[in-house]
Amino acid sequence: MTKIAIVDSGVDTPEEILMAADITPVRFLGDPSLNITKANEHVPPNHCIWARNLLERALNGLDADIKGLITTHGCDCTNREFDIWLECVDLDFMYFLNAPLKRDKAAIKFFVNDMKELINQIESKFNVKITPDKITEAIKLTNKIRNLLKEISEYRSKMILKGSEFHELVKKVQQEDKKQMLIVLESKLEELKTKKPFPEKMKRILLTGSVIDDTEFIKNLETLGLQVVIDDLCIGTRYFWDSIEEKADPIKALSKYHLTKPIYSTKIPSLQRFDNLKEFAEKYEVDGVLNVAQKFCEPILYDHPHISKEFKALNMPYLFVEIEYSRESFKQLATRFEAFAEIIGGK
Amino acid sequence: MSKGKIIKSEMLGATQKLKNEMGRHYLAIEQAYREGKPVAWATSGTPVELLYAMDVQPSLPENSATISAAQKYSQNFIEVAEDAGYSYDLCSYFKTNMGVTLTETTDLGKGGIRKPTFMLSSDVICDTHVDWFQVQAERYKVPHFTIDVPHVVSNTTNKQKNYYKKYVIEQLWKFLDFMADILGHEMDMEKAKEVAKNSYELSMIWQDIYKLRKNIPSPVSTKDTFGGLFPLFTMPGLKSPIKLYKRMYKEAKQRVDNGVGALQEENFRLMLSGIPFWYNLKFFNILEQWGAIIVYEPYTYSFSKFMNPDITKEMIMNKPVESMAELMLSFWYIYDLQTRIKRFEETVKEYSIDGVLLHNNMSCRPNSCGLYDLKKHLMEDFDIPCLIIDADMNDPRKLNDTQVTNKIESFIELLRERKKK
Repeated sequence: MTKIAIVDSGVDTPEEILMAADITPVRFLGDPSLNITKANEHVPPNHCIWARNLLERALNGLDADIKGLITTHGCDCTNREFDIWLECVDLDFMYFLNAPLKRDKAAIKFFVNDMKELINQIESKFNVKITPDKITEAIKLTNKIRNLLKEISEYRSKMILKGSEFHELVKKVQQEDKKQMLIVLESKLEELKTKKPFPEKMKRILLTGSVIDDTEFIKNLETLGLQVVIDDLCIGTRYFWDSIEEKADPIKALSKYHLTKPIYSTKIPSLQRFDNLKEFAEKYEVDGVLNVAQKFCEPILYDHPHISKEFKALNMPYLFVEIEYSRESFKQLATRFEAFAEIIGGK
Repeated sequence: MSKGKIIKSEMLGATQKLKNEMGRHYLAIEQAYREGKPVAWATSGTPVELLYAMDVQPSLPENSATISAAQKYSQNFIEVAEDAGYSYDLCSYFKTNMGVTLTETTDLGKGGIRKPTFMLSSDVICDTHVDWFQVQAERYKVPHFTIDVPHVVSNTTNKQKNYYKKYVIEQLWKFLDFMADILGHEMDMEKAKEVAKNSYELSMIWQDIYKLRKNIPSPVSTKDTFGGLFPLFTMPGLKSPIKLYKRMYKEAKQRVDNGVGALQEENFRLMLSGIPFWYNLKFFNILEQWGAIIVYEPYTYSFSKFMNPDITKEMIMNKPVESMAELMLSFWYIYDLQTRIKRFEETVKEYSIDGVLLHNNMSCRPNSCGLYDLKKHLMEDFDIPCLIIDADMNDPRKLNDTQVTNKIESFIELLRERKKK
C-alpha cells in the first residue's frame, strides 16, 4: 500500500484525507540513536535538534513504499526547513500544509481551502478520487480509534497501564494502518479490563512539552518511580482527546476539529495551553508536572516561564528540562528527575 | 596578507539628519503618551501604515532593541530576561525588550519603551514575533491582534497564493474592526490612501538610492543604510522621512555624477545577508582596511516593501488594504529558498558583487535557515564566493570578534586571488 510520510511538529495533519485515498499516513519520527552529520550540512547546529534528526533520517533514505510527504505548518524550524527537504529529499510528492496559526472562523475557512488543495494535488499525483463519503468513512474510523485511545489512556491513571506502553501504542496508531490498529486497540482494552494495578508505588506525573517520540525517555522516568498518568502531547492526548463531527461537511469538520482541540505551543494563543494543563493536573490528581523541551525548541521555551509561574501560584511541583534527543543524556537527567521525585514525595 | 591604508568610508551628509528624524519619531511616541493618545506596539513586517491611517502612534520594540544594543545596554537587558526564565537560545530582540520592561526602563536613549494601548504582531517573518507579543500582552493586559500570514514555500502555486491572499485580506479588515472597537472610530479611507501613497513614495526613493549603489564606486555604504532603513518600518506613511531620503538620494547621485565613492579606494564589492550586529556596527569598518565595501543588504532593501511588480501605485491608492496583504506575502525578507537563490544570483550580477557575507544569526533561526543551501548553490552553481559568519544581531556574547575578523581576512585574501586571475 502507498504511504505518505507526515512531518508535523504538532498534530494537525488530516490523516483522514489520505485514508480516503487508500494511502496510509505514516507519522515521520526521529531516531535518537542517529548521529547527525548530513543534516548539519543543511541546517545550523543551533536549530531544533529533533527537526535535524528527522532530516538526517530522510537523507539516509526513506522506505521504498513512502511515495510522498506532507509537512504541516508548525514551528518556525519545520516550516522553514521544508524548502531544504524539497532540495535534497528524493520524493515526487511534497506538500506544505498551511495549518493556520490562529483558530478563528477565518482560519477555519482558510484551512478548508488548503485541505481542498491538498486533495486536488493528491488526486492528480496518485490518480485517485477522494470523495466526501470516503473522508466521512475515514473520520468514523479515526473517531473509533480516538475513543478507544481515550478509554485506554485512563488505565494509566489507574496504574494498570505503564505510560511508556501507552506512548508506544499511540505512536503505532500514528504510523500504521488504522484498520489493523483498531483491532489492536480493541484487544488491548479487553486485556486491560482484566488487569490489576501494578504493585510498585509510583509518583503521578503530567508530561508536557515538545514532540516526545522516544518511548525510552518515558521508560527511563518509570525506572525512577515516575508514572505518566496523563499528558498533553501530540503523541498523546492531543491526538485523540476530541472527536470529529461525523454528520457535517467532512473537510469543514476536519478543519474545525484541528482548530478547536486543546491548543499546542505552536499555535496562538499558546498560553492557553496552561488551562488544559491545569485541568489535567487537577482531574488526574498529579503529584507534579514535567515540561520537556527538545534542545532549541522555541515554542516551548517561550511558554515555559508563564507555565512555571502559574503552577508555582498553584503550589504544584513543576520541573522544566531541555533534552538533547539522545539516550546518552538519560544518566545526567536522572539526577534531576530523582531530585524532583523526592520533592514530590514531600508534598 | 597585504593590508591597504586605512581609509574610512564617508557617510552621506543627509544621513547625519537621520538622528533628528528618528528623534521626531520618538518624540511623537512620548507626546502621544503624554496626551493620552493611542500607541500600538508593532512587529516589523506588519502593515504599520494602517496604524497611521487610524491615527495610532506606532512604536516598534525591535527598533528600540537596536538602540539598546547600539548604546551597549542590550546584554544587560538580555541577562535580566534570562534570569526571568527565558532561554539563552531565544531571540535577542525579544529578550532585550523583555529586560527593558522587567526593569521598567522608559529612557529612550537606552531603548526604553512604555505600555501600549494595544499590540499588533504577525508571523510573516517569524513565530517569535507572535510569541513575544503574546507574552507581553499578557503581562501588560492589553489587547493583541495577530495577522497570520501563510508560509510560502518553493513549490507554492499561484492558485494557493490567491487563497492565501484572501485569508490575509480578511484578517486586515478584522484588524481594522479591532482598532475601531478600541478607538471608537472607523478608518478614513482618504487618509489611508494618503498614508499608502507616502509609504509607496518612501519605498521608491529607497529603491532609487539602492540603484545608485550599482555604480562603481558605490556612493553609499552601510553607514547610510543600516540606520537609514529605520524610517521604512517605523514611519511608512509620513511625509518627513521622504524629504530625508530625497536628500540622501540627491547627495548620492552627485557622488555618482562626480565619480566619487563612499570609499576612496573600492577594491571589493560585497553583499551582506542578515541583520547587522547592532551592538558593534563599527565591526563592519574593518572591511575598509582592505578597500572592501558592502553595496547590498537584502535586509535593509527588503523593508522598501513595494517591490512586487504586480502592485502598482494605482492599486495602492485604490485598494490600500488589499495591496498590503499582497505585499505581506511577497516580502523579500521571507522569500522561499528557490526564489532567494535566484534573487541573490541576479543581485550579484546587477551590483557587480565580488563576494557574499552570510550572517548566521544565532538567535534568529528563521533568518538563518537555508543559509547553508543558499551558500552551496551560489558557490557551486554560480561560482560566487560566500562566507558564513556566526554571530547575533543583539547579543554581544555571541560574536567572537577575533575569529570572525580572521575569517573575513581570509575571505578577502581569496577574493584578491580571484581578481588576479
